[in-house]
Amino acid sequence: MSRPLRIGHLYPDAMNIYGDVGNVRTLVQRARWRGIDVEVLAIGPGPAELAEYDLLFMGGGQDRDQSRIFGDFTEHKGSAMEHALEDGVAVLAVCGGYQLLGESYVDADGHELTGLGLLDLRSSAGHDRWIGNVVIEADASLQLQPRTVVGFENHGGRTRLGAGLHPLGRVVVGGGNNGEDGGEGVVRGRLIGTYLHGSLLPKNPHLADWLLATALAHRDAAGLVAALSPLDDSVEMAAHSRALELAMAERGRRAVPLRGRGAPAADGRRGWLPYNPHP
Amino acid sequence: MSPDLRLRSAVLAGKAAATASRMLRRGGGTTIPGDVALAVDPRALGKLAAGLPGGVVLVTGTNGKTTTAGLITTALRSNGEQVLNNSSGANLLFGLCAAAVADADGAGRMRSRLAVFEVDELWLEQAVAELRPRVVVLLNLLRDQLDRSGELETTAAQVGRALRRLPPHAAIVANVDDPLVTAQCLDLPGLVPVGIDADDFLLPGLPHAADARACPRCGTALLFERVVLAHCGTYACPTGDFVRPQPATAVTAIGAPAIDALRLQLSDGAVVSAAVGGVYNAYNVLAAYAAVRALGIDPTRAAAGIGGFRPRFGRQERLRLFGREMRFLLAKNPAGFDEVLRTADELGDAAAYLIAINDRIADGRDVSWLWDVDFERLARSRRRPKVVAAGSRAHDLAVRLKYAGVDQQRVTVETDPERALRRLATTGDPASEAVVVPTYTAMLELRRVAERSGAASAFWSEPVGTPS
Repeated sequence: MSRPLRIGHLYPDAMNIYGDVGNVRTLVQRARWRGIDVEVLAIGPGPAELAEYDLLFMGGGQDRDQSRIFGDFTEHKGSAMEHALEDGVAVLAVCGGYQLLGESYVDADGHELTGLGLLDLRSSAGHDRWIGNVVIEADASLQLQPRTVVGFENHGGRTRLGAGLHPLGRVVVGGGNNGEDGGEGVVRGRLIGTYLHGSLLPKNPHLADWLLATALAHRDAAGLVAALSPLDDSVEMAAHSRALELAMAERGRRAVPLRGRGAPAADGRRGWLPYNPHP
Repeated sequence: MSPDLRLRSAVLAGKAAATASRMLRRGGGTTIPGDVALAVDPRALGKLAAGLPGGVVLVTGTNGKTTTAGLITTALRSNGEQVLNNSSGANLLFGLCAAAVADADGAGRMRSRLAVFEVDELWLEQAVAELRPRVVVLLNLLRDQLDRSGELETTAAQVGRALRRLPPHAAIVANVDDPLVTAQCLDLPGLVPVGIDADDFLLPGLPHAADARACPRCGTALLFERVVLAHCGTYACPTGDFVRPQPATAVTAIGAPAIDALRLQLSDGAVVSAAVGGVYNAYNVLAAYAAVRALGIDPTRAAAGIGGFRPRFGRQERLRLFGREMRFLLAKNPAGFDEVLRTADELGDAAAYLIAINDRIADGRDVSWLWDVDFERLARSRRRPKVVAAGSRAHDLAVRLKYAGVDQQRVTVETDPERALRRLATTGDPASEAVVVPTYTAMLELRRVAERSGAASAFWSEPVGTPS
């Protein structure tokens, strides 16, 4: 009898701004519906052994919380994270978590924050914030069926991947990593980084299952990732199709100011949607 | 006073725009006249408000603005005041100005003596600068539409800046059960702290939708002695640098005999009954009472006045549609949804729901917040309720309900508003009341169906700026 599948949720109290808990709930339910025993453990500040987990998840947070968390992450989790990746732990890092895995982040004032340096990617603050529905076509290596992944982005950061890295997918609708090279997120081995937040996995059950299958391979110390038993995903795929339909209808439409008529956005940012650099 | 020609032109242009808007059936003209008037005279709102001898009350916060402003307005009117209120819920500066233009005569003189305006949190600073209010009511600061409003901390800081710009004699009626609210006004001279000291309806701990978990001063996790809803309750920082202030007026006992009734015992001895239900409305009633008291009305008359309020426009409004009694409970964000579902389930014993999720700009384009709502309640409920999932994001809701553990046999997806209402009308026991929980624009769509069928009047046909 194998031990329960172990999911580590990094900083769940602070890094849960966009319904990120939905990703974890989706993984848990899809494991349970298949009779796979699963446990979720919160990983807070301080030193932690991360290779003990089969899957690590980190969401995004409010700026204030995020800066506090970043300090702890770089101080206490760097080598543990590196060890976990070498050990084959599956990772889903969203927004802030995604940026932090890279070499650096340059903020709006030009200050450079050092990341964990686990991935050859660099991020910086952009001039505006991209907010809107996103559709990407996932990297072929993931073998997703269908290949579309739908989500929502809300970020001011721009990320550039080093030459050896593949984006998670090619942007069909939305901004993505930087609006120029057409990539969104990153996939390297069993790690996925992305700007698509909150309800990413519920409407992309194929991607959720990719993560679950890789996590199971880690638990069972299996070199190969075995296929999972199929579930009835008609409700999930109806939502996937609907999101696809709504996003495609926005494709190429002129950007609309969010609060209208010069209204003050809370943080002085310009809110435009939907941004589409590839009409 | 010399006649201000610019203001006169602004008022006349605004009134003409209102007439045109109605004739063209472009809606109720709840903001367009304000747009036009402010284009002619950017200071029009401030100038008109200066003509109100009784001054201005501003009501702000994430949830409860419309209901609280309605409670205050009703209480003041029953005490003989001529009150202007932006009752349509248009709460940006343009909406406030449109209501003022409707109240003014052609010369820019106000018919009302006093204004009660609800105002969007992000517009509070401008509204304070223009209107120099006598009383500001700050209800709560909760997570809401991140894609539109930005982060909660930023909104809170902006509200704090607005409060520090208030004239020295202004009263700040603040719900100090919310740590974020307290942090914005703790040291301000006009603070009238209000809160709930009752143990009647407490949550076992901080719910997922709670945001202000850490001390605003030092970041240490706050300790909660009571959690009333979201992150509102009685709290203290264990380091001792931040404590919930003692309320000047507190609710000491909550009687909630039904989904649409409250009976509050207050610390000053008053008993306030109101035709709104749920713990979240206890905060609204308490704040309204304190605001009315701050305007000099005595406790008995304040309580009696609040008792005359009737819910309206999608906020606990009751309509008969397609042969079924339906109660509309507007909800816009995780905390609001949690409380509405809690009220419908625990006080209303509801067995049939229509939940409508739209993703327009006014609702928030991003629906990831559905995952922050405690829909698990519907799976736990002993009534095993049936749900019609509606709105442009009905499918997202259906997924959320599936993962919450709600039996799929109990969920129907219906994106068309009229068909969704018809479906609800025949769902569950036809003699029981059905509950409609819509986001803002979904509420407008569903209510339009009700208007077409004659069950409800259009909100703009309600009188604006005249006492009822």
